[in-house]
Amino acid sequence: MRLTLQMLISHGRMARRMGLGPQSRINILRNILTGLVRHERIETTTGRADEVRFYAEKLIDYAKKGDTDEKAMKMASFWLTEKDLVPKLFKVLAPRFETQSNGYTRMARIPNRLNLDRAKMAVLEYKGNPFPPLYPVKKETELTLLNQLLKGYREERAQALSTEA
Amino acid sequence: MMNIAALVNSLRCSLLHIESRLLQVAGLTLDTQLAPALAVNGPSLLPQLDREDEMEEQHNSEQSPGFLDGILWMAAPKKRRTIEINRTRRRADSKLLKVKNNIEPCPECGHLKQKHIMCGFCYAKVCKETALIRQQMKAMEGGPLGAPTVETVVLYEGETPSELDKDKRIVERGRKRPAWFSS
Repeated sequence: MRLTLQMLISHGRMARRMGLGPQSRINILRNILTGLVRHERIETTTGRADEVRFYAEKLIDYAKKGDTDEKAMKMASFWLTEKDLVPKLFKVLAPRFETQSNGYTRMARIPNRLNLDRAKMAVLEYKGNPFPPLYPVKKETELTLLNQLLKGYREERAQALSTEA
Repeated sequence: MMNIAALVNSLRCSLLHIESRLLQVAGLTLDTQLAPALAVNGPSLLPQLDREDEMEEQHNSEQSPGFLDGILWMAAPKKRRTIEINRTRRRADSKLLKVKNNIEPCPECGHLKQKHIMCGFCYAKVCKETALIRQQMKAMEGGPLGAPTVETVVLYEGETPSELDKDKRIVERGRKRPAWFSS
């Protein structure tokens, strides 16, 4: 993204409020994070996805310390309400992101919810999940019209140069 | 009883009023500056009576319900709003629908999408496939809370697990691999 001066200045930036209060907000985010660790791809509202992203990446950073670490285990057992996900976090997700230092999650906006509220929705996923990709990878093929025309042009140029020489 | 008292009072006031007016005409009025400093309770020939009279009359009328008083100062339109004025208000720029210029066709499927939002059709396609994969995973896990401690890989018909997929849980899907899902 563009590194502007506005990014460094944080005047007027306020923390998001969710649910009934700070404790309620943490509980909501904890539930969403548990779902994310279980399913590795979830869709929620844009605001909630943005908040959970921070906690999801911090959780991976704690998991990278290893499951023998006291603090890491406490964090994992607090944030994951379903306790069968704690071994999954330490044995599947932490090794997956060993080589990366940040950017373990991907968030993309999807069309608004079809309810009366028409809420802004986003899909949040851990990178490297087994499911089909959200953005399909574009493969370079020679079979497109433009590529065929360029190939013909290159061949003609090569022919002309060889006849000159 | 109260009515008789009020009648007597009003008669007395009117008589005193007539007297003071006659005195005024004759030129024998007493100035307010010469009035006694102490307020006298009872009939007196001072011009203060006029104000007392008016206040009593006002009091009598205000003793009736107070909401009638409120109606006198409530806001109400003075004139009918003309159609020209109505039109300018209804068709103001802030009330018209805004034109969106961030709509473009998706390069994959051709459905329209907004520039900063994923294509709905492509996302629905991916959702369907992930739902089927998740069904298969649920069947493999058996009961609830059965998250595996190994990575998962999805293989389609006619595919064998490669070197990297040795120690992973394999989820079989009984169909040909779709073009948009390259391993």
